[in-house]
Parts: sequence; structure tokens; C-alpha cells
Amino acid sequence: MSSARHDPERTLALVAGVRTPFAKAGSTLEGAETADLASHVFREVLDRTGFDPAAVDQVVLGAAGPSAREANVARVAALRAGVPVDVPALTVMRNCASGMESIAEARNRLLAGEGEVFLVGGAESMSNFPLVMGRKLTGMFQRLAKARSLGARVAAALSFRPSFLKPRIAIVEGLTDPTTGLMMGHTAENLAREFAISRSDQDAFAMRSHRRAGKAQESGRWQREIAAMVPPPFRGAVADDNGIRSDQTMEALGKLRPVFDKREGDVTVGNACQVTDGAVGLLAMSEARAHREGLEPVALIRDHVQVGLDPARMGLGPAHAIPKILERNDLVLRDIDIFEINEAFAAQVLGCQAAMASADWCGQHLGRSSAVGELHIEKLNVNGGAIALGHPIAATGARITWTLAEELRQRGGGLGIASLCIGGGQGQALLLEVQP
Amino acid sequence: MTDTQTDRQQRSEAQGLAHCSRSGDLAIVRLGAEDESMVTFTKERLESLDRIIGELIANPPKGVIITGPGPGMFAAGADIKLIQDVQSIPEGVEAAERGREIFRRLRTLPCPVVAAIEGPCLGGGFELALFCDVRVASDHSSTRLGLPEVKLGIIPGFGGTQNLTRLVGLPVALDWILKGKTAPAEAAFRKGLVDRVAPASRLLDAAVQEARRLIDARKKAPTRKLRGSNRWLTHLAPLRALVARKVRKTLETGQARFYEAPKSALELCLKAVTVPEQEGFDAEAQALGERIVSPSCKGLVHLFFLTERAKKLAKGDGARSVERALVVGGGVMGAGIGALMAGKGVRTRLCDLSLDVLAKAKGRLQKDLDKQVRRRRKKRHQAQAIQDNLAVSTEWGDLRHYDLWLEAVVEDLSLKQSLMARAVDAGLPADAVIATNTSSLPVDAMAHAVPHPERVVGVHFFNPPEKMPLVEVIRGARTSDAAVASACKLAVRLGKFPVVVGDAPGFLVNRCLAPYLNEAAELMLEGCEPEYLDKVLLDFGMPMGPARLLDEVGWDVATKVSEVLHEGFPDRMRKSVLCDAMVEAKALGSKAKGGLYRNGKAGPGRDVLQRLRRERGGAGTEPTRTEVIERLVYPMVDEAYRCLEDGVVTAEEDLDLGLVMGIGFPPFTGGITRWARSEGLDTIVAALERRAGEAGAGPCRALRDRATR
Repeated sequence: MSSARHDPERTLALVAGVRTPFAKAGSTLEGAETADLASHVFREVLDRTGFDPAAVDQVVLGAAGPSAREANVARVAALRAGVPVDVPALTVMRNCASGMESIAEARNRLLAGEGEVFLVGGAESMSNFPLVMGRKLTGMFQRLAKARSLGARVAAALSFRPSFLKPRIAIVEGLTDPTTGLMMGHTAENLAREFAISRSDQDAFAMRSHRRAGKAQESGRWQREIAAMVPPPFRGAVADDNGIRSDQTMEALGKLRPVFDKREGDVTVGNACQVTDGAVGLLAMSEARAHREGLEPVALIRDHVQVGLDPARMGLGPAHAIPKILERNDLVLRDIDIFEINEAFAAQVLGCQAAMASADWCGQHLGRSSAVGELHIEKLNVNGGAIALGHPIAATGARITWTLAEELRQRGGGLGIASLCIGGGQGQALLLEVQP
Repeated sequence: MTDTQTDRQQRSEAQGLAHCSRSGDLAIVRLGAEDESMVTFTKERLESLDRIIGELIANPPKGVIITGPGPGMFAAGADIKLIQDVQSIPEGVEAAERGREIFRRLRTLPCPVVAAIEGPCLGGGFELALFCDVRVASDHSSTRLGLPEVKLGIIPGFGGTQNLTRLVGLPVALDWILKGKTAPAEAAFRKGLVDRVAPASRLLDAAVQEARRLIDARKKAPTRKLRGSNRWLTHLAPLRALVARKVRKTLETGQARFYEAPKSALELCLKAVTVPEQEGFDAEAQALGERIVSPSCKGLVHLFFLTERAKKLAKGDGARSVERALVVGGGVMGAGIGALMAGKGVRTRLCDLSLDVLAKAKGRLQKDLDKQVRRRRKKRHQAQAIQDNLAVSTEWGDLRHYDLWLEAVVEDLSLKQSLMARAVDAGLPADAVIATNTSSLPVDAMAHAVPHPERVVGVHFFNPPEKMPLVEVIRGARTSDAAVASACKLAVRLGKFPVVVGDAPGFLVNRCLAPYLNEAAELMLEGCEPEYLDKVLLDFGMPMGPARLLDEVGWDVATKVSEVLHEGFPDRMRKSVLCDAMVEAKALGSKAKGGLYRNGKAGPGRDVLQRLRRERGGAGTEPTRTEVIERLVYPMVDEAYRCLEDGVVTAEEDLDLGLVMGIGFPPFTGGITRWARSEGLDTIVAALERRAGEAGAGPCRALRDRATR
């Protein structure tokens, strides 16, 4: 471990967590905006633990695409959840890892002596990613607003061209890397080619994800994480994830057409993560404070790391982050009981596995003399992942961390690593310990 | 005498009077002494104002500002106790004329007079403001303006009907005066009742600015003109007649027909734009004199005092302010109570086993909020905050920070007991209130289930809780004063009137209603038609006849209540055979497929009624109106006094308020005991004794004692 001695005052503990059901964009949660989702999980985690909201030191929420009227959505959600006005709140954004970043942020603040209790999490309403009107139309309206005389107004209005109405689609632009011009799917195609991952390997991985998530659903495992929600417009309750297909088959997956590279590609909607709405709320505090409050820590955050890498191969983020966090803590791959690696794309998770198992790659990119090791599939994403549950961008980092913690608790304790690849070429990993 | 004593004496002398001070070329008139938190127009205050205005006329300043004694109070109108004391028409006329003439002298001042209003500016207070040349109101939340006189059975008597109609036009004036509407500054500004809304901290500056503007323009008052449709509907005779006809018609229908004050106010508002000013003022004073001695006014004033008395229950010792509440049971009652609490800023968690039930609760609340947003009663973000206040879940969570736990589940004693025990296990603090919305089960039996039974209290809302204004707060044998006070405080916060009742079958309202409904069923079985019966009671002033009421309550519920009451009082409470027969035929009432009525026409229950009548044989004759009242309302009077005798309530006032708010006993009567007195207690006793020979139980002692007294 990096910290030689264990100091409960300086160790962040996750005490409780809930999430909304994860619902495919445009389905049951479409009426809820980011703040609706986040305030729901914040209130539920507080109500369920009975923790006094006034005792929270800072609220940190990951959100990658809050709407324009809730830019600091953490603050909006906290107030709406009943957190008093004198508790500050900040929104963090590191694309796909924003939810995990909220936990890292809380840990950093604890270590810096800036508070003991944190309400953290992530929320994303991908249904509400807007269509944005282009700069040209905005410019015309600005000219219209400035125009004083009738002539100026007419001139401004006459500058209109039908092409001004072509919207920019936020979700497409958000998932395109602006420095390389590649869509996220294209970066996954890159990995499939470099690591020789076949279409059927990818489809098999996707099917496994659905099967595992489906089994977890049947066993009632997700129900322990989920706080059912009655979202706006308040026409019905939403209690279950709706992306899981327990009956997914290779045949059905095989029929799907590639989306990104339509001629030669492998990445389909079936072996990529789903576009989803959802939020996760966690109550985190120093281990010592949890004991003082009479609350049982579920998991302790031992360490977290962020790394940067080639944006065109952003999917390898975990292959960079996991070795780094292991090394910092004098651990090797086998020491870790289970892993959660976000399933942005099947090809990308398989790529990470292959990279870490390759001595060549490890030598070239990590400067190691040997491979990191074989990350066995039985230890990886044991309850499925984003291919089945969906990937509400900023929520996922918090979701896999909490799922990992719950899983380790059920197994009677152990060490776990949660990691994500991040659009723009980053990786993040978090080392978690559940004490027996 | 020391200085402070002198100060104190001076201050007490200053109490209750208006004061004037000069500030440069302006005069500031304050309607009360600095430390007065309530200003009403007593004789003394009016005379002091008269003297001040006299001095101002003798030695006129450049401008006059009239304002309240301090922040948060302008003038709340005439002293209501004085209204009650007026016994003759000329006395009332004279009081009106005197007040109006004092205010009216402001007009003879050569300089502009500006009212600077913060806090209540109601009734006579607003009428004073109407005689000013400009009205500036503060945006402070305490500010409310309007002429609520009709709610007390009178009309504005200090020139209000005349001045307001001329100021804002006929349609707006009718809307405010006939409904007794009061509203915050912004709404009053939108309709032209005030000229400017100023930030609270700059109210006086704004008033001075308005005065200066007029002084600089060498004008006493701004020129005013009605605009748009308001102008045509006020000044064009045919259109005005159209308005008058429409309003007259609504004042003759439904319960409005029992109230003379709005009708009188309508005629006065019409006079404001058709006859010379003096004639209008004279008519107004005359009308006030007539209204103020009417029994309806005295009844409504009595009721007003009862509501004030009920609100004071919230200030009892140990009353806890409820900031967080858990409501168990998401049905109509639980959801309604939860929504009410959320609407008043209580962080509420509504729990039920069924998510669908909870979703419906949120949906109903949203429907209601959407309506309020459409009507501009609420802003979008306010509606959202209310919806946020109401969390719904199948999980209770941890209860350690809750002030109140309330159940509104089915009437099952052991279920309620086990839920209460579970609440304690879930960490509910020992001093939090445990409330039950039971309508038929004993609170004591539930209290046994929990440690600290003194915190268990009954809080009986009526259906639908959003609309019904009464809450019966049930004091069990062990319930603490603090728990009762907390329940009352919650009721008042939710905009309801609490009445504290003892833990006896049917409590107050259902118990008094039972003999009334039972006799109604009996009369119908004897051959009386539901329509006729309902009409008699509607003419009596009830909001709904008994046959329709039974349909609305639901025959299954009525049957259950009858059973509970029969068990409690086997010698006098009976369950009508009609109840069982209706339940058996599934003619449950309006919530199902109709009962005696269906959508206003004869319903499936008529067949049941016909069959039972045939089985009895021999159709009775249609009873007279007097007979119906004797058989329905007299037993209710008797039962009310029995509640008093048994200690279910402690005062006649509780009976009056409880039955007006609980079942809609005609408000203009001032309540059931006042009505009984006007009817003659001995008459009632005699009639009940006569019936005792046939069927009734005979009058109770409490009633007989009062009759002979």
C-alpha cells in the first residue's frame, strides 16, 4: 500500500449508495432531466441512511452533459434533495469517468483536510442531450436583437438561409473526439484491428455481459442498488433496468450491421454500450467519521489514479491505469479479487485484456520488462456491464464502483479495482478494499 | 417618576391612536404607535385620525404620507368585536357614515395624499387607502389587500364599494368585493388596486417620490382612466346591465342564495357608476346598517371567532413544528395528506407497498400543480419544489430525523399497531409524533403498541383531504398535551381548522352525522323520494343533500361507520337496512357505478329502495319540510349535545365549528348550537320527546338542561 500506515481519519469510506434504474434513452426515464435523476438518488441515499443532510461537507456530482439551465447541476440536485443551502456543491466532468471522479474528488478533499463527509455520484440524462442550433442562426438572432431601425431588422431577417436550421446533435458531437475527428466507435475499431479481436469474440463478450446482468437481475441483486423512481411527468413508476437481454444470442448479435465503419467494421449496437439515462448517489466519509456516526463502511477507497494516452486509442485507458494503480500500491494482478472495467465497447475491454497480457505492448507503452498479466474473464465484470445495463456517461463510474463494493461485500471482503476508459484519451482506476 | 416610566406611560397613551409628524414640507401620518403590531379602527383611533386631518387642513403641508405604525402592518379593518356589538340599523348607519366622512376629508386637503402600505391593508384599512390619491404597496410577504367584508356577512361601509368600483371598473371591483378577495401587492397592482409596488426596504422613499412627483406637477391626484374591456363594461349601460344580470344569476344559485351581503354589494357597485357620489355613499351606509344587524352577519362573525380560536390551538405548549414527516399508505387519504404537507414545505416521504399507488399519488399532485401553474397561482419552480418535497418509496428508510409519522392505511387495528411498532424500530425519535388518520378505531388501542404512548394522537382528515377544512385531533387517554398541540399546529399549517375530540366511537363529526343519515335512509324507506329529501336540506343550507352525501361517502363506508357506532352506542345508533341492501346490490355510490344517483339522475340504488319499500308495504305520505328538519337535524342537535355531555368535546364552540367545517352545516347560522337556539331548544326537546315514543331515544340531559335554563 502506498500509505504505509492505515489512518482511518484519512481513508475515504463508501457508506451507502443507491441508483436509479438504468433506462434506455428515450424510454421510461426520458422525462427526467439530470437534476431530477441526481436529486432523487441524493435524497434516497440520505433518507435511507438517516444521515443528516446538514452534516454533509461538500456535494460532488459527475455530469457530462447537464442542460444549459442547470450548468452546476450538483448544486441544483443537492438543494432539491433537501441538502441545506450552506453546504457547497460542485459538478465534476471527466467524460465517462465523471462519476468516479466525484469519488476521487471527495478523497482528495478529505486528504487535503477540506471536509469529512461527501455526497457524491454521477448522473446523466442522455434522452435530454439537446439538438443545438448552429452559430449562424444564433448570429442572426443576435443581429436581430441589436437592430434598431426597421431597415436593419429587415436586413438581419433577410440574412436567413434554410441551412441555418440544420441542428448540431449534441450527443454525436459529444462522442466525437475533437482532436482526432474520430467517433468513439472508431477508436474501438482501431483496437479490434491492432489486437486482432474478431467480431465473434466481441459478440461473445457482449452476450456474456447480458447473461451475467440478467442473472444478477433475476437474483434480485440490482434491486438492492436501485431506488425506484416516479420520474416527471409522473405517469408511472420505474423500478427496473430495461436494457438487459437475458436471452441474447450469438445469432441475433451476428445479424447486426456495423455502425461506425459500415463496410469493414465489427462494432455494432449489440457489442457496444447502450445510450442510457441514470444516476448514482453515494454517501462517502472518512472511515473514522463513519464509525463515529455509527455507520458501517461498506468499502474503503485505497487509491485512485488517472492517466493520459493517445486519444485514438482511448479505449486502452484501463490498460494504462490498472498497472499504474497496482504498482503504486505494491500489488500484482492476482492480488485483486475482482475487476470492473467499463464496457464502452466489447472490443475495447478485450483490447485492454490483450494489452495487459502482452509483454510487447507492456514493454513499449508501460516501460515494463514483462506483461502485467492475464486478467481472467471470471474475475471481470462478474455482473455484466454497460453493454447490458447501459452507460449513462457520468453515472457509470460511480455505478461500477458501488457494484464492485457490493459484490466484494457479498463475497465476504477483498480487494477490487474499478476502471474506465475516457473519451479524449484518458484512463482512471480506483482501488477498493472491503474488509471481511 | 423615572424617565423610563415616563416613556412607558407615554407609549401606552400613544397606543391605539394615529400620530402625525412633520418631515420638512411633508406630513407623515402613522395609524398606530410604534410598538403596535395590530391596527384596527376603533372609535378612538378614528377620532384621533379625524383630529390629525383637521390639523392638516388648518395648516396644510406640501404632501401627506399615510402609513402603518411600523413594518408589517397597515390596518386590518374595523374591530370585529365592534361589529358584533352593533344592535340597531341606525347605529350601524351612523358608524359607517362617521368613518367614511373622516376618511373623506382627506380629499379636501389641497395636497397629494399617498398611502404607503405594508402588511394587512384590509376592509376599513383598504377603504382608507382608497380615499388617498396614490397607493404604494410593499412587496413584503405580509402585505395583503382587499375588502373581505362579505365573508362576515357585511359590506364595505367606509366608501369601499363606491371608490373601488370607480378606481378599477365594475368587473374587477365585483370580482374582489363580492368574493371578499384578498391578495398580495403584486396581484393588487396588476388589477390597478395599487399604483406601485416597492421593495419593502424602500417603501417610504417610494411614497415620498410619488408625492414629490405630484407636488412638482402641481397636482393633487394623478389623472386616471379605465382601459380596455373594463371601461366598456363599466360605462356602457347595456354592457353593464349584462354584467349585472350574469352576476345576479350566480348569486341566486347554490349556496350563494343564502347570503345577502354579496347581492347588496352588487347593487352598490352598480350605483357607484350610475348615481351621484353622495347618493352612493348614503346607500352604502344604509346597506351596512341593515347587514350588520342581520343574523347571518352575527353567525358569520361568531364563526370567524371560532376559527381564530381553533388557530390558537396551534400555539399550545410543546407544539412541535413538523419539518419532516413519513406518511404510510398511499391511498386517497395518505396521498392527499402527503401532498398537503409537501405543499406547505414539509419534507414528506410517502410509503406504500405498491409503486403504482405511489405513482398515482405523484400524478394526482402533478395534475393539481399543473392547474395552479396554468392559473398563475404558482410558478413552475414552486410546483417543482412541492413535487420534490414529496418523496415516494416502498422503503421507509431510517426515521431518526423525523418529527412526525402518520399512517393512513386500511382500518385494521393489528396492522396499524404493527406499523407503529415498526416505526419505533426504524429509529423514530421518542419525542416524534405518531399519528393515525383513523376514522373509526380507538387511538388508545393503538397507543398500547408503542413505548411512549403519550406521543400517539389521532389526526382525522376528511375526504378529500385537499378540500375538507376540518381535522379532528383525537386525544387518547394517554395522549400528551404536546402531541395534541403538535397535531393542531400541523393542521393549521396545512390550512385546516383543528377541533380536539375525545377517543370515542365516531369521534365528533361522524357521530353527529350518523343519526342524520340514518333518519334520511329511514325517510326514504318510508316513501320519501331522494330528490325531495335533498332539496329540503339544500334549502336548509346544506352543501349537499343526505341522499347524495351517502352516495359520495360510499354506502360501504357508511355501513362500516354505522356498525362502529352501533357497537359503541347500541341503544340508540342503528344501521339502516338500506345500507346492507345497497352494499349487497353493489350500488356503492359515486365512486362505483352509482348509488341512489348516477351522474345526477336516478341510479341503480332506486331498485333496491323500491324493493325494500314494497317489502315494508304501505307507502307513507311525503313528509313536510318541517317534518324532515325535525327528523334529520333535531337528532343531530341531540347527538351534538351528547358529545358535549360525554366529554368528546369541551365546549359548544367545538360543536359549532366542527359541524360547519366537517359536514358543511350552514355557516350563516353560526353553527349548530346557535341554530338550535334560534329554532328554540324547547321546541327541539319537545319534538325529540314526541319521537322518543315512536323511535328516537329522546333528548339528552345536556340538551334538556339548556332548554329549561
